[in-house]
Amino acid sequence: MVKGNRKFVALLLVGIMAALVLLSAGCGQKQAGSSGEQNYPTKPVNMIIAFTAGGSSDVQARIMQKYWDKLVKQPWVFQYKTGAGGAIGFAEIAKSAPDGYTIGGVNVPHIVLQPLGQGAQYTIDDFEYICQVVNDPQVLAVRKDSKFKSVKEVLDFAKKNPEKLKVGIVGTFTGHHLMLLDLQDKTGIKVTQVVYKGAADQNAALLGGEIDVMIGNVNDVMRSLEQMRVLAVASEERSKFLPDVPTFKEEGLDIVSDIRRGFVAPKGTDPKVVQFLRDTFKKIAEDPEYLKDMEKAGQPAEYMSGEDFEKYVREQNEKSKELLTKFGLLKA
Amino acid sequence: MWEQIGAGLINALQPFNLFLAIAGLTGGILIGALPGLTATMGVALMVPLTFAMNPTSGLIMLGAIYSGAIYGGSNAAILINTPGTPSSVATTFDGWPMCRAGKADEALNASLLSSAFGGIVGTLFLLFLAAPLARLALKFGAPEFFWLCIFGLSTIAAMSAGNVFKGLVSGALGLLVSTIGLDPIEGVPRFTFGYYPLVQGIEVIPAMIGLFSFSQVINLVGSRQKYIADYKPNPGAFMRVVRKLWKDCKMILTRSSVIGAIVGILPGAGGEIASIIAYNESKRWDRNPSRYGTGIVEGVAASESANNATIGGSLIPMLCLGIPGSAVAAVMMGALLVHGITPGFKIFTASGNLAYTFIVSLLVVNVLMVLVGSLLIKGTARVLNVPTSYVGVAIVALSIIGSYAIRNSMVDVMIMIFFGLVGHFGSRIGLDTGAMALGIILGPIVEENLGKSIALAGADGSVFKVFFTHPISLILIVLTVLSVITPWLLSRRRGCSTKEAVDGVQS
Repeated sequence: MVKGNRKFVALLLVGIMAALVLLSAGCGQKQAGSSGEQNYPTKPVNMIIAFTAGGSSDVQARIMQKYWDKLVKQPWVFQYKTGAGGAIGFAEIAKSAPDGYTIGGVNVPHIVLQPLGQGAQYTIDDFEYICQVVNDPQVLAVRKDSKFKSVKEVLDFAKKNPEKLKVGIVGTFTGHHLMLLDLQDKTGIKVTQVVYKGAADQNAALLGGEIDVMIGNVNDVMRSLEQMRVLAVASEERSKFLPDVPTFKEEGLDIVSDIRRGFVAPKGTDPKVVQFLRDTFKKIAEDPEYLKDMEKAGQPAEYMSGEDFEKYVREQNEKSKELLTKFGLLKA
Repeated sequence: MWEQIGAGLINALQPFNLFLAIAGLTGGILIGALPGLTATMGVALMVPLTFAMNPTSGLIMLGAIYSGAIYGGSNAAILINTPGTPSSVATTFDGWPMCRAGKADEALNASLLSSAFGGIVGTLFLLFLAAPLARLALKFGAPEFFWLCIFGLSTIAAMSAGNVFKGLVSGALGLLVSTIGLDPIEGVPRFTFGYYPLVQGIEVIPAMIGLFSFSQVINLVGSRQKYIADYKPNPGAFMRVVRKLWKDCKMILTRSSVIGAIVGILPGAGGEIASIIAYNESKRWDRNPSRYGTGIVEGVAASESANNATIGGSLIPMLCLGIPGSAVAAVMMGALLVHGITPGFKIFTASGNLAYTFIVSLLVVNVLMVLVGSLLIKGTARVLNVPTSYVGVAIVALSIIGSYAIRNSMVDVMIMIFFGLVGHFGSRIGLDTGAMALGIILGPIVEENLGKSIALAGADGSVFKVFFTHPISLILIVLTVLSVITPWLLSRRRGCSTKEAVDGVQS
């Protein structure tokens, strides 16, 4: 049996090594790049992603990484801290040592709503804001063969038939939820809200006719344009992915609602480091090649500087507080 | 279409693609066989690598890892009574008794061949019926999902035929565990006792690793057995199993594969549900259901063909609608999007070359799996020649790595250990870990869909209409009723003799 032992130990070692290789392969180590005389960074930078590998947030960060590697010698080490709609990962960034070697991606309004509604373990004051990179507006979509051809028809139906219109949203205390509250608040309609776990289930439910209307994001509906009609987009200007779709403002409703992705560092990170990160991310975000890659992946890029991003987050915080209080969803 | 299939075959057989398929299979089988590392994890880890390849080759590799991992899970299920992935829970029911009876070779080969068969059937569904089945997936709304899960839960009654009461209590405990965390409809935290990390709920996989793997280690250590089971290499097992499957299992393999392919199409329901349903259906239709669980090839064949058939199924809505049918399919869709390929019905025309090459490569992968798998079986079966003390340490290490790796969180490791203790001490007082796992897996889906159905009923003005008038729901309700009353009818018909046999199996 001694022989068997040795064989097994060897097998086990191979297994564990394979696992380790796979785990480190996930981190995408790459020592490329040339320039960079500055002192920071002298070692790889941890990039915390609060959603699963291969998800939209990850895909976006991976595209950025390609251009980061061209500018900076040290690579990013991706860490996925998923759960609770991102709250686990965002808290992880907030709790990390502010030494510049841990940064991460955050989503708005998630980082605003989770501390407000669900007692998340961070606040919007726990971050240094690097920049915003994506603005993915919410849209109102119906099935291609739906009787609703415009936002007005949807609203007329909802007004005549209170609580009969079935509207699908993803999650509670999310951007979708907030937009539906906003819509009901501004138009006085009452609808039946059906909460889905993810965009996949929700899209299937719309196509299967379980719900009449859904609130989605450009990035999600882009994949199903063959079967869906987008009635309006909740942005200031028309989306370049959906040039024929009017905005809510054009339809006479002051509704602007979106999911934004940005990057942050923990509060207290050296201002010089934050400045370096802000400058580097700006360079990446303005690279035409990067913008082309983003468009290919269906990611609506929109750059905003760290200062503006922080201001935006604080504005959203006030607005959301007001709306949630109005609907009695906020514990005093 | 045939032309495209032919072109796809030629692409799939290119040396580089074949190499990727074999590498992916080997890696996938190892990941699947190691308890704690799951198919989703394996595919997610390799996605970054595919960014550097052309999209077709990348997909071929991911498909191979997916297939390999789902099959690989059965190795651990058979050899150490520890499902390597959640999809192979049902494989332990008969695989482990076979292994204890010294028939590990038969069980491993049966699982390999059934997996390949199921994988091929699932892929054929994907190749020929993708569009209509994608539409069927859309017919599956909240009430249908609710009833599907109730049907799944009803298998507890059949599973624990010896003691239905304890089975039901175990299932109910599982359901209770699944309510920890954010309420899916209102978003309010429940049962967190002020401990924030519990807001994310009890992740299914660490709980399963605990219930099945960690508790098994404690059992092994406590048993003072030097070896897990007697094992002598058994030449000719492969051909014996081929003959057995061909003679007795055609119906079981076909039925289980079809169940697997259809469950796979549904977003949110994957191999873990398909294999349990298929196992149970095979048991129900058998002339002598009480032999299930005693270590028969049929049980392994049912579970393993079903879980591999879900692969083809789960890719149908992903490719046709951009709606992934499983967590792995979701990761693969991310990989497609990075390459700028948008899923949709038109993927078969706009990116036909890619789509057909990928699908045909899945057929090739399943054939290759028989070759790669039978080579690997020779190595994996040797685990049985290793003293339990070493095996125990290895399982503990892998359980911890696997639980941590789900979300890189120590909380999950604690959850795993907690459920390990629950599984070990619970089984001493008759806790049915299978039933409890079923509760934990199905609980969140039941709850979410019940909530949605009630919301929909509010808009439609009738609870009855939403729950009891959809045709698919009615079928599922009938199946549920059948599933609950068959064990009772059977035991009445056969009188005491069956009962004794069943009790004998359980003790």
